[in-house]
Amino acid sequence: MLEKEKLRKADVFSGAVISLFGLWIVSQAFQMPMKDSWGGVMDVWFVSPALLPLSIGIILILLGLMLCRIALKAIGLGEFRNAVRWLLSRRLVWYLTLEATVRFYAMAVLFLTLVFLNLPRIDFFLDAVLFLFAFITMFYFYDDALMKKFLLLYLAGEVAFIIYFALGFDDILNGIHPFSTDILALCFLVGYVLYVWVSVRRTPDLRKRFRLSLVVSLITPFVIGPIFKYFLLVPMPKEGLVVAVLDYFRYLEFL
Amino acid sequence: MVVLDQISTYIQLLVQTVSDPMNIAILFGSVLLGIMFGALPGLTSTLGVALLTAITYGMSAESAMVCLLAIYVGGTYGGSYSSILINIPGTAASAATALDGYPLALKGEAGRAIGLSTTCSAIGTIISMLFLVTISPIILHFALQFTSFEFFLLAFFGILISGTLTTPDLVIKGWISGFLGLFLACVGRDRLQFFPRFTFGIPELDSGVEVVPVLIGAFGIPQIIQVLKDRILVGDMQKLQRIIPEFRTLVRNVPKIVRSALIGVGVGCVPGIGEDIAAWVSYGAAKNTSKHPETFGKGEITAVLSTEVANNACVGGAIIPLLNLGIPGSPPAAMLLGALMLHGVTPGPMITFEHPTFIIECAAILLLSSMAMWVVGITLAKQVVKVLRIPAPLFMPIVGILCIIGSYSLGINIWNLYLMLPVGIVSYFLTEMGYPIAPLVIGVILGPMADENLRRALMVSKGSFLPMFTRPVSLALVLIIVWMVLVQIPSVKKFKNKAVAKVFRKRARKSN
Repeated sequence: MLEKEKLRKADVFSGAVISLFGLWIVSQAFQMPMKDSWGGVMDVWFVSPALLPLSIGIILILLGLMLCRIALKAIGLGEFRNAVRWLLSRRLVWYLTLEATVRFYAMAVLFLTLVFLNLPRIDFFLDAVLFLFAFITMFYFYDDALMKKFLLLYLAGEVAFIIYFALGFDDILNGIHPFSTDILALCFLVGYVLYVWVSVRRTPDLRKRFRLSLVVSLITPFVIGPIFKYFLLVPMPKEGLVVAVLDYFRYLEFL
Repeated sequence: MVVLDQISTYIQLLVQTVSDPMNIAILFGSVLLGIMFGALPGLTSTLGVALLTAITYGMSAESAMVCLLAIYVGGTYGGSYSSILINIPGTAASAATALDGYPLALKGEAGRAIGLSTTCSAIGTIISMLFLVTISPIILHFALQFTSFEFFLLAFFGILISGTLTTPDLVIKGWISGFLGLFLACVGRDRLQFFPRFTFGIPELDSGVEVVPVLIGAFGIPQIIQVLKDRILVGDMQKLQRIIPEFRTLVRNVPKIVRSALIGVGVGCVPGIGEDIAAWVSYGAAKNTSKHPETFGKGEITAVLSTEVANNACVGGAIIPLLNLGIPGSPPAAMLLGALMLHGVTPGPMITFEHPTFIIECAAILLLSSMAMWVVGITLAKQVVKVLRIPAPLFMPIVGILCIIGSYSLGINIWNLYLMLPVGIVSYFLTEMGYPIAPLVIGVILGPMADENLRRALMVSKGSFLPMFTRPVSLALVLIIVWMVLVQIPSVKKFKNKAVAKVFRKRARKSN
């Protein structure tokens, strides 16, 4: 949580956002039927589906405005003006490039690419190994310079995947070979692992951490995945190359 | 006769649960996992229950409850390990334990403190279990007479009280968080007219937002981001000597144990309030009534006793409104609600008709969980504390993968992930800005109850709000809600504080 003074400054803005959000809820609620039939004979307001959304919207507008007022009273108009000036100044850029903020970006990129890009299109096990290895190596070395290097490489790979999927290359290549996308992901994973190794090989402590990261990243999906796939019978979000291999071994006795 | 019947059913269910080796394995495994989740700073019992919910998908309702209640009990207790040994509370519930637990460890009494916290936690859980069994029939008796107005007001009260008591900053933020949760619950087709609300033509939103992925996102993702962004480093761990159960200390402090258990159960019963508040209230009560309040914060053993009894007594307390009214008493209980629904059990006044032995079964599982927790705590504590050496960057990404596969597997729907992640990121920002997450979750859970019952009540009363003021329970709830809101107005607050001070002054004068 932020410090109290910063919190009050943030409250002015968050209160305004909440009020606007409440306003949006109210506007959406007005598009719902305000009256409806009940028991087929009546046309009454109290069965309207807009009843609760409308109340929530109005309450959120009021609470947001109250929060703004409390925060403005606490910091004063002068401080608020300073906060606005700060937001429009270069110091905002400085804040957005702080190491802690970059660490947040790294996590956001890792999660967003996994959920919205990789999981629906690439084999789950490959996704999980790549996610874990990238995540652990970015944070476990406790070195922000290294983290930025790894993040850039990971981001480059994911951007390449976005272009690959957006241009429809996956359909073309998967038509030639069913696991083409997974093979590409595997190549990216191997490339990423090699890059990390080259970056840390001269430092014995980091070398040890690299080995541990690799082991944890490889073991975890192969413990969690089969529990869900074969014990709980949950099909993976995308079953590709690795799942085909696992299925082959799992059902070997039936061949 | 009814009481004897209940006792025989209780014993029968206890034996039935114990006689299945699979249940025993699940019980001990879950307790151990819960303790680890509680001990590791950054992981909580709520997250433990959330992640294990997905694993229980293929189990029977009974085994699932064994698994989830055991992890809940273990997780609440496990937080004391890191509080005592490294002065970092493993969970918010054990923050109060750190105040005196760590000084005890510095004095070389870590084994004594952990032994005491183990036994106290077990006793707290058992006492709360007794309350669960005895109070439930009374609550159910009244709940069956509740009409839709009462249920609407209860849901509204739950959201407001949760917002009021869990907020780390302004009360208003707690309320905003609760209403945001209520908004999320409105998404999807409404259950009376089937009109699509806030669905934007997306068919996946028609059935509304799934509760469990929202809970996993709201509790899991912010936790991961916070721990790794702020690089919370674990300090040196104090040496752990032989674990002593400390029975003598317990015998000397029976009244304190009873008081702390009552506080725990009472706080647990209040909707949406967690174990952390129970522990702090109990700590405050112990300090205020102590003959030597100056020793608190310097390694006072009764402080550890009070907080640990209270936070574990809160477990049973939180289950009381959950099972009887469908209103979770704490964030992990909110997760339990999601899990129960997944297994076809709908908590609420009808529970004794649909599943006649379910509450007694839960009580039996609580007893078994507390016993398993005590055994694991006394025998394996030295091994379990080794998990405190695992660095966060190694286990947090694994928790991330578990959040993802867990959300996906509930319903085998990738849409759950598209919901879970944005909720998680928004929850992170809300947490950073001082908005509590528990009211949001309570809002999501109680939203459908509030919506349906408000309209149903108005249908019955033909649009009149008058029954709200003519029925005693609903009038009481209205008055409490109004008081809760009014007391936040500065002038009313001042007046209340003055009145309270006056009463205390009068009492002090009389006692002198």
